[in-house]
Amino acid sequence: MSKEVLLLIIRQFWKTTFKFGEIFFLIGLMGVLLIYAVYSGVSYHDQNHFRTDHQEKARESWEGNPDKHPHRMAHFGTFAFRLKHPLSIFDFGIESYTGNAVFLEAHRQNMVNFPEAGFSTGLLRFGELSMGMILQVILPLIIFFIGYTSVAADRENGTLKILLTQGAGWKEILFGRSIGLCLIALLFVFPFMIITAFLLISESHPTGDQWIRLGLLTVTYIIFIIVLSLITVSVSAKSQSSKVALVKLLGFWLVMVVLLPRTAQSLGAYFHPSPDKLAFRAAIEEEVIEYGDSHNPNDPHFAALRDSVLKANNVDSVSKLPFNYGGLIMSEGERISTEIYNKHHERLLNIYRNQNKLSRWMAVVNPYLAVKNLSMALCGTDFASYAIFQNQAEEYRYKLAQRMNELQMKFISSKRVSGSEGKVHVVNRSEWAAFPDFKHEFSNIGSTLRSEVISIVPLVIWVLLFLWFILYISQKSTVV
Amino acid sequence: MYQLMIRQFLRTKTCQLGLILILALGLTGIVIGKQFLNDKEKRVAQTVEKQEEHIARNIKFHGDDLGLLLYYLKFSIVKAHNPLTGLSIGQDDLNPSIQQVKILTLEGQKYDMDLVNPTRLLYGNLDLSFILVYIFPLLIIAFTYNLLSEEEETGTWKMVRVTVKSQVKFLLMKLSLRLFLLVVLMSILYLIAAWVLGIAWEEAFFAFFIVGLLYQLFWFSLSFWITLLKRNSSFNAVVLLSFWLILVMLLPAVINNAITNKYPVPEALTTVIKQRDGYHQKWDTNKKETIEKFYKNYPQFAKYGYPPEEGFNWLWYYTMQHLGDEESRKESNSMRDKVLQRQKMSKQLAKFFPSMHSLLVFNDLAGSSLSNHIHFLQYISNFHENIRLFFYPKIFSQATTVEIDWEQFNPAFYEGRNQPVEWLKILVPLLAGILIFLVLSFLTYQTL
Repeated sequence: MSKEVLLLIIRQFWKTTFKFGEIFFLIGLMGVLLIYAVYSGVSYHDQNHFRTDHQEKARESWEGNPDKHPHRMAHFGTFAFRLKHPLSIFDFGIESYTGNAVFLEAHRQNMVNFPEAGFSTGLLRFGELSMGMILQVILPLIIFFIGYTSVAADRENGTLKILLTQGAGWKEILFGRSIGLCLIALLFVFPFMIITAFLLISESHPTGDQWIRLGLLTVTYIIFIIVLSLITVSVSAKSQSSKVALVKLLGFWLVMVVLLPRTAQSLGAYFHPSPDKLAFRAAIEEEVIEYGDSHNPNDPHFAALRDSVLKANNVDSVSKLPFNYGGLIMSEGERISTEIYNKHHERLLNIYRNQNKLSRWMAVVNPYLAVKNLSMALCGTDFASYAIFQNQAEEYRYKLAQRMNELQMKFISSKRVSGSEGKVHVVNRSEWAAFPDFKHEFSNIGSTLRSEVISIVPLVIWVLLFLWFILYISQKSTVV
Repeated sequence: MYQLMIRQFLRTKTCQLGLILILALGLTGIVIGKQFLNDKEKRVAQTVEKQEEHIARNIKFHGDDLGLLLYYLKFSIVKAHNPLTGLSIGQDDLNPSIQQVKILTLEGQKYDMDLVNPTRLLYGNLDLSFILVYIFPLLIIAFTYNLLSEEEETGTWKMVRVTVKSQVKFLLMKLSLRLFLLVVLMSILYLIAAWVLGIAWEEAFFAFFIVGLLYQLFWFSLSFWITLLKRNSSFNAVVLLSFWLILVMLLPAVINNAITNKYPVPEALTTVIKQRDGYHQKWDTNKKETIEKFYKNYPQFAKYGYPPEEGFNWLWYYTMQHLGDEESRKESNSMRDKVLQRQKMSKQLAKFFPSMHSLLVFNDLAGSSLSNHIHFLQYISNFHENIRLFFYPKIFSQATTVEIDWEQFNPAFYEGRNQPVEWLKILVPLLAGILIFLVLSFLTYQTL
């Protein structure tokens, strides 16, 4: 392959593209969309202010409690508000459909409530406009539009013959056009990345982890445009006329962006039915009761526990124990119910993962899905990030409940067998502030990448496949 | 000639592929709607069955203390079966259609989500309304973008011109043939849906059909206008697809983002904190003051007096619970108002865009829209109020569980809003859209 010819062809492709007004119209259109997406992304992310404010408010009233029985505090509980990842400005992912606030109290795993979708009309279902969405959905169309004539038009008007007779090989033409198209597409992508970097700096103090994410995001979209450019040029080269090339590319886009994702997800859900809240709760309750019901005085599990505790302490009644027996019982009950809940919850998440599996595996045949999934994951707005929040909230809830049980065992008299009201059997309020507040931690890039192998590998394969395909058609192609 | 045209068109690959694809997708959509309805029905049946069992079991354990019993008892409210939801699942995959409440603070219970896979919600449901709003226009575009340009590009147009009397008439014939095919196909899908989902032949279903029909007509009129511009096929394809992109992807997204940002709902978060504090902080304050506040709301219970300051008491307990709702009412109301504003703005803006308008109308007709859900929440509040007012005097007067007829507590069925179909509001935006492009077509034809 001659380098000079290649450069010549790249330059020529640029020149012809910029000769027509369409490209400036497209640049203008992307500019407008970009500005709007930035505005939306920033406003969405600003919801974090509400959340941190409310986290503080909830904390203030937690710490503001007077001396009281720790079990009252276990039910006073607190809230976990989910924070948006700084990069959620770029790609909203599933954020609008995930809950944002969960009440954390003893013995009870509450639902994470108030997803944005709950306050939204059916319009939300048309999709949302984020920077990521523009690059995933609109950019392919723009690349197809700029490139569909790249080879087919030359074939139609006969310039292809001239090019080939003047010493350019098929390889140079196809690669030259692909590279030219890639470079133009890069023009569209870079502003997005630069603005995101700028927003990261201005909105927060970006960590190394976030910079790595942004870097990988950039690489992801560059690979995406390489794949799309190669597809465009190959289709254009294989088509008899530019009209046919355009129709093929538009059809490909429709299948890739509109039809496959929704169908795959619907089928996934069809084949892996998931339980609703009532069935889920009922199954847990049943198992907890079977294991040991701390509310039932004759429950064998708890009766055995009581007998062994009494024996170990050489007393005949729980009120003579050196610690508050109610605290111990609740601590044991909490341990059992949490273990069972976690088991069921993990099972539920696995059903969801199975539902998602089909659309994730579709990445193998659909570069759009590979990029979409990877982009969500890198922006901390994917399913895995949400599961991490749920687990952190649950872990904190468990710690809170157990800390209150500990305080009860330690500071509440063993004479107080039941009930938690009143001002006599209480714990000093300094204990409330001593228990740290909930803090939502984002996952690190390592674990994100490990869970996204399924999106990364297909992307690499797509690039290799189309490089091979271009080489292949450069040997097989005919002039007419 | 019409027959020849039909035969010729049916032989094209676009036609065969398009019809098969949309038929397959349409049937999938119906199956998905059916599965959604079946799931719901199964859950409702279980809820009805379990409520009796739930009450009986708790009476067995806590039957000697009515106050304690009602702390445990959950009452179910169920959205009644509406087969139209199978056509347009709307927001019903997200908002629960079964809710269970205790007579405790409602604000802490009412917004409880159902368990759903958020990724599934992101991609949305492949129901019939999606096929109608998204996919049918694509097929219309595929069928019509080269209506005239193809004849010109293959050179047949010159022949046609000399053989037909009126060119427009010829084009209209070609167009009407495609329209006819798609309307037949759509009607078949509606018929199958009505049969599979068990939809009654009533006004709402009829409206559903008319909206679908007018929406297709809108796209045909748009396409006709583009055809009359007499540009080449590539131009037509790009322009029509851009219209599609703008109407079903970009504009709805832009408008939804705008509404979300214009009306953020931090009140939701404030409400839950306030209801928690409103209830829990009463554990540490004077019982008499707490109960006085309660009696101000419900003077009919003042006769139960004030319990001693020391010790636990159910009157005091349920008073505290009620004050959780009372003290978060302001935020709760303003949350509801915000959501209603969102709904109102969505509907107003959607009037100008047939795609959004049709989808919102489908959801409304199917009872799966946001306003339906708000109405359901209101029903839950009323239900909660009634059941509290039923049990309060019984708990306060220390009635025994035997005195109560528990059989009356079957799950409550919410029957929907039962609003008459507002034909004008539904049809005018669509008719206006069709008219605009017909007028444009006429003007374009004049200048040709």
